[in-house]
Amino acid sequence: MPFAPVPQAFKSSLKEVVIGAGESAVALGGENVLPLYSFDAPIKNRPKVGIEISDLGPDRSLPELAKFYEGASSAAELAARACAAPGADFVCLWLEGADPNGEDRDVADCVKICREVAEASPLPLAVQGCGSPDKDARLFEKIAEALQGRNVLLLSAKEENYKGIAVAAVTAYGQKIAAESSVDINLAKQLNVLISQLGIAGDSTVMHLGASAAGYGFEYIASTTDRVRLAALAQNDAALQMPVIAPVAADAWSVKESVMSEDEFPEWGPVERRGADMEICTASAMIAAGANAVIVRHPRSAAAVAELISALL
Amino acid sequence: MGRFIVIGERIHCISPAIRAAMEARDPEPILRRAREQLDAGAVYLDVNIGPAAKNGEDLMKWAVRLIQENCDNVPLCLDTANAAAIEAGISVYDRSRGKPIVNSANAGDRKSNVDLAARNDAIAIALCSKDGVPANNDERQEYCQELLEHGLALGMEAEDLWFDPLCLVIKGMQEKQLEMLEFIRQLNDMGLSSVCGISNISNGMPKAVRPIIDSTELAMAIECGLKAAILNPCERRMMETVKAADIILNNTLYADSFLDI
Repeated sequence: MPFAPVPQAFKSSLKEVVIGAGESAVALGGENVLPLYSFDAPIKNRPKVGIEISDLGPDRSLPELAKFYEGASSAAELAARACAAPGADFVCLWLEGADPNGEDRDVADCVKICREVAEASPLPLAVQGCGSPDKDARLFEKIAEALQGRNVLLLSAKEENYKGIAVAAVTAYGQKIAAESSVDINLAKQLNVLISQLGIAGDSTVMHLGASAAGYGFEYIASTTDRVRLAALAQNDAALQMPVIAPVAADAWSVKESVMSEDEFPEWGPVERRGADMEICTASAMIAAGANAVIVRHPRSAAAVAELISALL
Repeated sequence: MGRFIVIGERIHCISPAIRAAMEARDPEPILRRAREQLDAGAVYLDVNIGPAAKNGEDLMKWAVRLIQENCDNVPLCLDTANAAAIEAGISVYDRSRGKPIVNSANAGDRKSNVDLAARNDAIAIALCSKDGVPANNDERQEYCQELLEHGLALGMEAEDLWFDPLCLVIKGMQEKQLEMLEFIRQLNDMGLSSVCGISNISNGMPKAVRPIIDSTELAMAIECGLKAAILNPCERRMMETVKAADIILNNTLYADSFLDI
């Protein structure tokens, strides 16, 4: 008997969230099929790749990365360089220096950097906070105001600070936010419900479901992402139909494989190659699990993941 | 399994306010009740225009258009003894959010409502009775098979026949409750859908007691596989039960605010 494929497109679809403005704007989500299942129905927007830069600059001990950013010192210069990396759809500025336990750069300085980066970036911009809920809330409010009209994505609003960020960034200035939970499927839904109860529509929010590097408890984030996508499509759960973003850089570059020196493990080969490989594996696996966008650090990773996406879709 | 389907029962001409609004073609009282029920979590709305022997067709068309145009094409359950009025209502019905439901057919003098549903690609609520209440599950099963075969012969899909076991009042027929639940389980095991008007069971009980009895029997019926119920979604205890049951049966993902959505 001949095989007759039965397409399994769902009646429900993911919301579509647009970041950036003008011709370079990118749309995330919108599809009504499982991740990469383009044989069931056309995938409205292919997964997007963001490239991360830090306000503290790149790790110049990695030769390839140092060469890529050679001559670029300010965040704006780094951003311009990152935007030119093959495969990059958007740039993500990580305000690492704002961390109160680190350099504790003040809000006004951070806003100035964001403005310069936005000016220098031909691609859409995401801004990642320092991780301190209090500092990020203060930062995002001012950044949202300063970058009005640029339609930036702010990462992230968490349970502790979502109210101020959602109202200031989305309601007042029309920016987009990521709702961040850490590998907790019920909290992911709850946070979306709470944000929607502030009157914010699903096309202004993406979900950051948590992160871990491949091989380091990755199955938890993979199954969480999987379950979210199934709830969104098979159960038509409007509280989980937001696209998923996976910033994998920080985790991928902090595990043993990415940090141990070649002197200690000569058989492992160069550190930089290993770090990029960890990042590529993690980002690819997140796309297979249902991420609509990934954020990576190394230009080699951006190129490899973009090539994978093009080959599959 | 999908989420439990609540059919809101509050647009019913037995209510003086609704009857007056229907007679005067006054939109506001009807729309207010429609919105209240949707806000409370109803999926379908029942529109009962009574026997409506006179002008039933115009009235049903008016009600269907009014409610759908003002409530994002909410799917409706058309409820009257006047079959021509149901058909008139379907003629102006928007199916974008779900097929219309014909309420209701039985194996007796209302068997032709299955034909009505079949020729209009609608869902039919099929009461497992002929005249009066079924004596036992053998009788229910007999009427169920009769209606199922009838519908299938007319080209209907089995999933478009929602069988009503007939809820019996506890005061007087207390010993029949378990049998009714068992019948819902039988339908479920056969892959058939079931629906019921749950509040019949608490007829004649004090007002404060009714939601307790209704919601408890509803929870038990949902566990047996009940797909939908016609009930008052504005009764908080009922919707809390439906939402909690959907969580326990894994029909929807838990979140702390589950009662609010």
